[in-house]
Amino acid sequence: MSISKRAFLYVTRKTGKTVLLFAILLIMATFVLTGLSIQKASKATQLALRQSLSGTFDIFVDWGNSPYVVTETVREDYDEETGKTATGFLMYSTVQFIPENIAAIKDISGVKYCSARQDNLLPFEELSLFPGTIAMDEKYKGYTKMFGVCNTQDDELFTTGTLTLSNGRHISADDTHTAIISQDLAERNDLKVGDYLTAHCYNTDEDGFTGEEIKLQIIGLFTPNAIEPFGQTVTTYDKIQNRVFTDLQSSKEIDGGTINYGFSSLHITIADPQDMARVIADVKALPGIDWKAFRIEADNKTYENAAAPLATLNELVVTLLVVIIVVSAIILALILTLWTKTRIHEIGVFLSVGIRKPAIIGQHLIEVLLIAILAFGISYFTSSAIAGQIGNHLLEQSMQGGPEDEDEDDVSAAAAVDIGADYLIEKPLPTENGIQVSVGADNLAWLYLIGFAIIIMAVSTSSITVMRLNPREILSKMS
Amino acid sequence: MPILELKKVSYAYEKGKKVLQNVSAELEAGKMYAILGPSGSGKTTLLSLLGGLDVPAQGNVLFNGEGITAKNMEAHRRNHISLIFQSYNLIDYMTPVENVRLTAKLDAAPILERLGLKQDETARNVLKLSGGQQQRVAIARALASDAPVILADEPTGNLDADTAGEITEVLKESAHTFGKCVVVVTHSGEVAKQADVVLEIRRGRLSVNS
Repeated sequence: MSISKRAFLYVTRKTGKTVLLFAILLIMATFVLTGLSIQKASKATQLALRQSLSGTFDIFVDWGNSPYVVTETVREDYDEETGKTATGFLMYSTVQFIPENIAAIKDISGVKYCSARQDNLLPFEELSLFPGTIAMDEKYKGYTKMFGVCNTQDDELFTTGTLTLSNGRHISADDTHTAIISQDLAERNDLKVGDYLTAHCYNTDEDGFTGEEIKLQIIGLFTPNAIEPFGQTVTTYDKIQNRVFTDLQSSKEIDGGTINYGFSSLHITIADPQDMARVIADVKALPGIDWKAFRIEADNKTYENAAAPLATLNELVVTLLVVIIVVSAIILALILTLWTKTRIHEIGVFLSVGIRKPAIIGQHLIEVLLIAILAFGISYFTSSAIAGQIGNHLLEQSMQGGPEDEDEDDVSAAAAVDIGADYLIEKPLPTENGIQVSVGADNLAWLYLIGFAIIIMAVSTSSITVMRLNPREILSKMS
Repeated sequence: MPILELKKVSYAYEKGKKVLQNVSAELEAGKMYAILGPSGSGKTTLLSLLGGLDVPAQGNVLFNGEGITAKNMEAHRRNHISLIFQSYNLIDYMTPVENVRLTAKLDAAPILERLGLKQDETARNVLKLSGGQQQRVAIARALASDAPVILADEPTGNLDADTAGEITEVLKESAHTFGKCVVVVTHSGEVAKQADVVLEIRRGRLSVNS
């Protein structure tokens, strides 16, 4: 009679032991499979979180310490009523970022976007703007904010989904005299793609935009996906619908001088927040950037705060898995050892008829494996039923046990960064609704691997007694 | 030529306390041997040495002229020996047929039938059979293994007189009809009477009474 036939007969005839072992293996497998599934879900959520939040850092002109910062007095106004003199200053850096710097940064591995803007407040001829909710000086009523960019595709308002290009195309680095305005503003002024906006360059003598006329061709229209909240006070020039994007060349012309030839700050978005230190090091290593002029401010707090509970959960699950595996192995080894001792009679009979010890141990192993195959398979369903609940309970525990968050809004409103009236759209975090735990085929494969290893170890341990005894001793015990 | 041979075999459980001393005997196929002796005289030890369950401290046990050593004991048990015990030693989760098939080289069903087990009895759980029936299954297992030597340790010890007589008859038939060398350790004078040769152990020495 073959080993497997004997094992099959034992498993099917000794139903009490089979059911007990099945229950033990099912519980063990359910815990291991649940642990594996939660670990996988935690890793997937961490990845989703990294991809969702990205990481950002800003590079600014170091206004306080840079040797390239120049402060010039531009005018002195005398107030006849008060008899006081007001002095106007112009502060700028002679070292700025140029489009070549931006292109080099974008080429660094891991950098998703590099957003850079020049901004100006200026009037456009015959352009009817959406009124704001704050009363303004008559002089600024027709003014709106214009962003001069290398390309709009990389601008933070577009990359975060706050604005969507609904018509035409984006502004690129090669463009000159181009503009993108909001769909709403275009409709209000009966404008369309291909039409022109008229502006004037800054005239320093007259201290106003009364200089040379510049025509900007509308090449695209955007639709805002988020506007200022109801009741929010906002100036006319800060209203998102009034925003005008133009290319860097036009922005420089309108600015009217050579002082602002580039950008004073960059906002860099990276694909994986975990890469932050490496990307910053790569940026710092780029040639052609004088770091005496700039400072870097990294903001990884949002990611770190959001990822901390997941990291804790992962550690918790790994610890639980190790404990479950070790405890399961010990319990299984103890039970099998006890059962082996009750099978001395059977072992003696087998030895007396010439069946080898390895064949006897092999039979014991096959018996447990037969039950395990079934128990592990069924654990797919039991684990599926509880994994989600346990996973989210553990996640809650991890969140409660985590460090106190000084600014809770950092996590709950991860992407809600206020830039004037341009509220970046708020994306829900992958952890906000808990983690999605599902038992996969790969988890099941791991369970079989781990489970079989535990069983082999437990059966080997329990068989030490058999291996040590000689047939005569066993037959004596039988007597 | 003897199928089994004991050549100056000695065995001791403890140093200096010998159970068997320079025991020599020749056992032939087709004969039934009975080993008699008081309790603790070494009858079962002698059976263990013949069955390859243990090795002697001195001397040799030969099967067909070849020595049984620690190395080939397992093969000796598997190929040459069938053991029958007082407590039957059947596998409790198997039916009689399955017990016989455990080591069977011959077809189990005709042997069981020949030993008086009905077809429905051979498919029952082995523990649901009577003592006599269980011992018949044990003998059937020994016969089905087709081993040339059957070693039986008190095979009738747990049976009533009638059943014991039937079992003894079966063992005798195994020797005479099937040409087996049957060695029976027994306290029973009735069983010894049926044997062709009686071996008696006293104070570690073996005497032969034909």
